[in-house]
Amino acid sequence: MGRTRRIGLLLLASLIALFVLLPLVWMLSTAFKNDFEALSGRMNFLPQKPTLDNFVQGLSGELMNTPILRWIVNSLSVGIAGTAIVLLIDSMAAFALARLPDLPLRRTLLSMFIASLMIPSVLTFLPMYIEFNTLGLINTYQALILPATAGAFGVFLLYQFFVSFPKEIEEAARIDGVNKWKLYTRILLPSAVPIMMTLGIFTFMGIYNDFVWPLYATTSPEMRTITAGIAMMATGSYTQSYGKLMAMTTIAALPVLILFIAGQRSFVKAITSSGVK
Amino acid sequence: MKSTWTSRFTSFLFILPYLAAFGMFLLFPILYGVVISLQDFELLSDAHPFVGLRNYITIFTPGTHENSIFFRGLWTTFQFVLYSVPLLIVAGLGMAMLVNALPAKLRGLFRTFYFLPYALSASVMAVIWLMMFDTNAGFINSLLQKLELTGIPWLTATPWVWLALVLTTLWWTIGFNMIIFVNALNEVPEDYYEAAAIDGAGAWNRFMSITLPTIRPVMLFVMITSTIASFNIYAQPFLLTRGGPGDTTKVLLINVLDQAFVRKDIGSASAMAILMALLIMMVSIVQFRLTNRKEKV
Repeated sequence: MGRTRRIGLLLLASLIALFVLLPLVWMLSTAFKNDFEALSGRMNFLPQKPTLDNFVQGLSGELMNTPILRWIVNSLSVGIAGTAIVLLIDSMAAFALARLPDLPLRRTLLSMFIASLMIPSVLTFLPMYIEFNTLGLINTYQALILPATAGAFGVFLLYQFFVSFPKEIEEAARIDGVNKWKLYTRILLPSAVPIMMTLGIFTFMGIYNDFVWPLYATTSPEMRTITAGIAMMATGSYTQSYGKLMAMTTIAALPVLILFIAGQRSFVKAITSSGVK
Repeated sequence: MKSTWTSRFTSFLFILPYLAAFGMFLLFPILYGVVISLQDFELLSDAHPFVGLRNYITIFTPGTHENSIFFRGLWTTFQFVLYSVPLLIVAGLGMAMLVNALPAKLRGLFRTFYFLPYALSASVMAVIWLMMFDTNAGFINSLLQKLELTGIPWLTATPWVWLALVLTTLWWTIGFNMIIFVNALNEVPEDYYEAAAIDGAGAWNRFMSITLPTIRPVMLFVMITSTIASFNIYAQPFLLTRGGPGDTTKVLLINVLDQAFVRKDIGSASAMAILMALLIMMVSIVQFRLTNRKEKV
């Protein structure tokens, strides 16, 4: 490859990177500006009078009806709880489907779970809302956690892994009189740690970033997740307070950005194994 | 292997927790949704009389409110699919090829850059772009003014609203398609290219006769997933344009949720949701047919 061509490609790649990263840099920069400077239309990336006010006001709960710290705690809690449940029940189900041939209705269940991957979420949204409303669970943590546990993606991902696990190890263990529960906890689970991490990151980000459901499933300010809360702020009275909005989005984006960069490999693996091959 | 009644029962216990979640939060809502769509279901009323197919018939009766919002929403959504999907595919593939053509040391870095926005939630993405597109103080219009051009009403006038929605969608989700394409490109056997190079095929020829045919299944996959994702578009118009100007960007999902939560007519909204889901699933079925993929069960 010619030298000029290589430099040209690198230039093009950098230009695209600039377009991609610029909004994020601008978000960060605006978060440190006061409202006046943020609305001035000046294009200074370094704030003239850098201020931490937006963060301090936001985190201290001084802003009306916007308990941001509470939103963050809500999002992290439901994200962690939902992910823990998904990891547990999905791995148990995948283990049974892949490793316990005497499981009743094994093939039927597996086909049903795989078919469910095609179900668009719009189909379950309204009836699920009515279901939770009838149970009196709208505006509770249960409403934010439970719907995420029904997806078959994790079962399918782990099933593929467990199916390819060597039979010999399992048979040796069986001869030693190991029961199913021990087979699952002592032999299959430890070997599945990497793929469980992948599923965990994927699930956590899915719950943390979910937008439409938390918007309708929560009704009071203190039950909002950070995603829903920011949406309410942006459409409500903070429309033009870009400094404050950007401080909030920076705080909201931080956990997932860190997780994403740290677990990028895992994340990519989950995407590419989600059914492309 | 011996299979006693107790053994089958303990095997079943392993799947029971997930099966319960699946039943309560996926299977039941699907069936319940069908029931609701056959009822006169007001959100705030306790009585939900059975009305047969009336909700569906109303949607297909010209002149009714339901008919108007369903089909106008569908048309708006269809426009968005039409504008966004070709770009999502072409730009995704282009960026994947660009990343792969970079020196090995830089590939990981640029891949991370391009993929980064995908990690953000819908509302973070939207709020960032609200500020970028702001007519008076927004970054883009400030830039245009610096270049002595007039500002553009990105979020309040056509055709700019469409450009804004497509641009934000590209920015937010293109990384996903790029990753899928990078993966597919890496699996094209190297000797295909070598053989073609010996035959004297140029870069364009190699792309057309080797790359494209080899990644065809992946291309189809990306096409379908992008179409479905674009069909489900909600957050971008909901937060950026509020469906405006007028109803220009009121996509189907906005109208369905308005029917349910603003007009409080869950029965009719459920019927619309089911029709929308059927359309989306038809696209998926076409995918399964075309790629002819078989799952190992």
